Amino acid sequence: MDLDFHPQHIVELYMDDATAIELQNLTKRFDEVVAVDNFNVKIQKGEFFSLLGPSGCGKTTTLRVVAGLEGPSKGTVLLEGKDVTGVPAYKRNVNTVFQDYALFPHMNVKKNVYFPLKMRKISLNQAEPKIERVLRLVNMEGFGKRLPQQLSGGQRQRIALARSLVNEPAALLLDEPLGALDFKLRVAMQKVLKDIQRNVGITFVYVTHDQTEAMTMSDRIAVMKDGHVHQIASPDEIYNDPETAFVASFIGDMNFLHGIIKSGSEKSAKADISGNIINTRKLKQGIKTGEEALLCIRVERVEVNPLEGKLDNVVACTLGRIVFRGTDYEATCRFDDSEIRAVVSATAWDHGLKEGDTIKIGFKTDDVIVFPKSEEKDVIKYSVEAV
Amino acid sequence: MSSVKGSGRLERRGVSLKLYGLLIFIYLYLPLMVVIVYSFSPTKTIVGMTGMTGKWYVELVQDKELLKAVLHSFEVGITAVVLALVFGTAGAFFITKVRFPGKGVFRALVMLPFVLPGIIMGLTLLIFIKNLNIPLSMLTILMGHVSFTTPIVMFQVSARLQRMGPNFQFAAQDLGATPFKTFWYVTLPMIRTALIGAGLLAFTVSFDEIVISYFLTGTWTTLPVYLYGMLRFGLSPKVYAVSGLILIFSLSLILLMTKYIGRSAEEFKVRR
Amino acid sequence: MELKKSRFDPPRSYIRGTPIILWLLFLVVVPLIFTFAMSFYSSEGLVLEKTFTLKNYKVFFTDPVYARILFKSLRLALGTSMLSIAMAYPLAYMVSFKMVRGRNLLFMMCIIPLWVSYLVRIIAWRSILGNRGVINSLLLAIGIIQEPLRIFLYNRFAIAVTLTYICIPFVFIPVYTSLEKIPRNILNAASDLGASEFTSFINVVLPLSLPGLITGFIFSFIIALGDYIIPLQLGGTQGIMFGNLIWSQFGVAFNWPFGAALGFVLFIISVTILGLTAKFGSTEGGFLSE
Repeated sequence: MDLDFHPQHIVELYMDDATAIELQNLTKRFDEVVAVDNFNVKIQKGEFFSLLGPSGCGKTTTLRVVAGLEGPSKGTVLLEGKDVTGVPAYKRNVNTVFQDYALFPHMNVKKNVYFPLKMRKISLNQAEPKIERVLRLVNMEGFGKRLPQQLSGGQRQRIALARSLVNEPAALLLDEPLGALDFKLRVAMQKVLKDIQRNVGITFVYVTHDQTEAMTMSDRIAVMKDGHVHQIASPDEIYNDPETAFVASFIGDMNFLHGIIKSGSEKSAKADISGNIINTRKLKQGIKTGEEALLCIRVERVEVNPLEGKLDNVVACTLGRIVFRGTDYEATCRFDDSEIRAVVSATAWDHGLKEGDTIKIGFKTDDVIVFPKSEEKDVIKYSVEAV
Repeated sequence: MSSVKGSGRLERRGVSLKLYGLLIFIYLYLPLMVVIVYSFSPTKTIVGMTGMTGKWYVELVQDKELLKAVLHSFEVGITAVVLALVFGTAGAFFITKVRFPGKGVFRALVMLPFVLPGIIMGLTLLIFIKNLNIPLSMLTILMGHVSFTTPIVMFQVSARLQRMGPNFQFAAQDLGATPFKTFWYVTLPMIRTALIGAGLLAFTVSFDEIVISYFLTGTWTTLPVYLYGMLRFGLSPKVYAVSGLILIFSLSLILLMTKYIGRSAEEFKVRR
Repeated sequence: MELKKSRFDPPRSYIRGTPIILWLLFLVVVPLIFTFAMSFYSSEGLVLEKTFTLKNYKVFFTDPVYARILFKSLRLALGTSMLSIAMAYPLAYMVSFKMVRGRNLLFMMCIIPLWVSYLVRIIAWRSILGNRGVINSLLLAIGIIQEPLRIFLYNRFAIAVTLTYICIPFVFIPVYTSLEKIPRNILNAASDLGASEFTSFINVVLPLSLPGLITGFIFSFIIALGDYIIPLQLGGTQGIMFGNLIWSQFGVAFNWPFGAALGFVLFIISVTILGLTAKFGSTEGGFLSE
């Protein structure tokens, strides 16, 4: 096969079937613990697909099952349309980038990158150009003779990437590859990874617990918790149309309030929060009037002292703590026993406001999402009790 | 290090402790010095030593029985180490890679020949051998030596395997290496220094072993058994010469071994 | 695909365990079984009677001679271990806490006697303690005594000195390991809160080093209990210990079944004591692990 990393070329070859990886009813148990519960998904060729969730949610386990390092308890794994469920890792055409890179310490960079080709019985001579090309791709040409111990974290990461790409696998699996890097380096590497993925056109399955990372890089994200897949969607949908309270709380910053549902219709609903009637988005299935429910509003969707008539929901409250965060202000607003945080950009903030003032806050109907109260236990909280 | 409060009192404590430590050191090293000095003494005493002589070492080299015993010790030692490396490494992989209940008991059982008093191992193996009507020979001594050298290898190698972590092997398989190729190209090179270190350690222990060997020896003897014979039938000064040489030999082996085991061999630790 | 229980790995991977299991069977388990079996036989002169009898155990448990020897050996082992601790613990403390430079070197120097041949060490002590040994020669030369003293060799003193010498490194290593594991900032915190070094030692260091201490004690105890060469070579008439009692059954006394019974008793005692390490001592392999 020609070794040109040309996206068009690859797309042409695979036009007939665009699914790179498919999981059907994938379940994995370890003794009594269900690590992955009934995962179903079709990952497209060339897609940047992320598995996102807190530690222990099953994302790494799923990745390992796709790689063939673990066998599923139930379900099927298909690679490029073929059932590979019983096929061991060394026969599958997917490669993994591990969190600690797992570069072989007794081999130099060139030998490390050569390794997968060596396993395919390609001679070193034939392999040289491929090795050179992939090192150029990750910007590590000339490092051939170095040992992994002599490289920095970011450099090791790139070699691990090169090593996994040199065999031109059907998909690349990445297990929190940027976890060990410090912040600025991580952001830089995110761009590098995304660029490589787009240029090479290869399918990426990316595991992370960092929602910003997932949101900025992915075409689609699967949000997981405790083995369950809560939602599979584009970053946009995940942010604006979370399917469960967990997804709503895990991504971005969300206010959570308790309220009683007063009424519901095709387009919207009404809820009572501490005596205030709030217009909300239409109710999800299973939520009935009269019940207590969770209502969520993004912190940046809450306006302080909005213009008259601009927003359908307006509530009077007392201004509590005001925190200056550089680009914005975070204001805690209290009414009765409820609390809403509002984040207002620094340029729009009214500097005359101070703690104790009586103010109004407002938000749109469409910005209030309602979840069943039973989902509250899944919500990620940031408080002393949660620690 | 501890703080500086009340340093006067602390320092005094430190000094008296170091003095005590020094005394213990003398206790530890005096016998070794004595042996070396005696080996050069023409008479059998230290006081009244009339100069140094190397004649005991010369006599030693001419003692054919002694040289044969030394050769036997090497033969048994090397063979036992090779077998221990095979059994021990296999055992190390078994215990680190496979899940089964009662691993603690299993480890303890394998450790037994090394931690139990030699007399127990000696007699159990002797009884076993007699029951199977095997004559006492190199084979029986070898059995004894393999029994206590294998745990050494197994524990060193399994410690190294655990420190390595499973990811290197996962990576190799992920990149297309069959289990055998993974072992050959990745795992083996990475445990190489542990194997060498364990081998040296096992050889040293085997070379010096007297208790079990004495139970299982026939006419085919190893150096310690021969030496013990010399000891029981009178103290020829040759004994000191032999002892001196054994001392130097063991020491060099141990110093060599430290290159491969322990704090100095940190290279393959999983590092960020 | 049905649900797979993953408590046990699939039977196929147990094949990897074959070598070590065979090794275990033939060199440990089966010999022990044979020994246990033999302890129920008896021997008349040179003939082995393979009929089941409890005679050996009966003799052991009823004849006070054997109990006395066993207790003598236990006492000796206890004494030796205490002496070893008295020497090895302060040494380990010194190297761990009081030495800054050359700590590794010093550690090695404490370990080296362990690797010097066991026999060489015995030979050495015989020449120090004997009539023409170092001590006597020195005392004679200085003129304190006119004739060599016989009090140093061929008695319990000689056994104790030599056994302790052998055991010290076995105590040193686990104790040192556990002392090294004590985070130094705990001691800084203690002294910051007003503790003197002695108080810190009693309340912090000692309790935290207890597992290593116990392990060292147990190793030393087992070694001292099972040794038969030292009592034989240096103990003279006072040198009848449990170890050489067993030994003689396979040598001069030629009563293998009785030897097997005694050996099995020692085995049970040793295993019980070693089991205590697992419970109370440190779990490090000590000098076996890295």
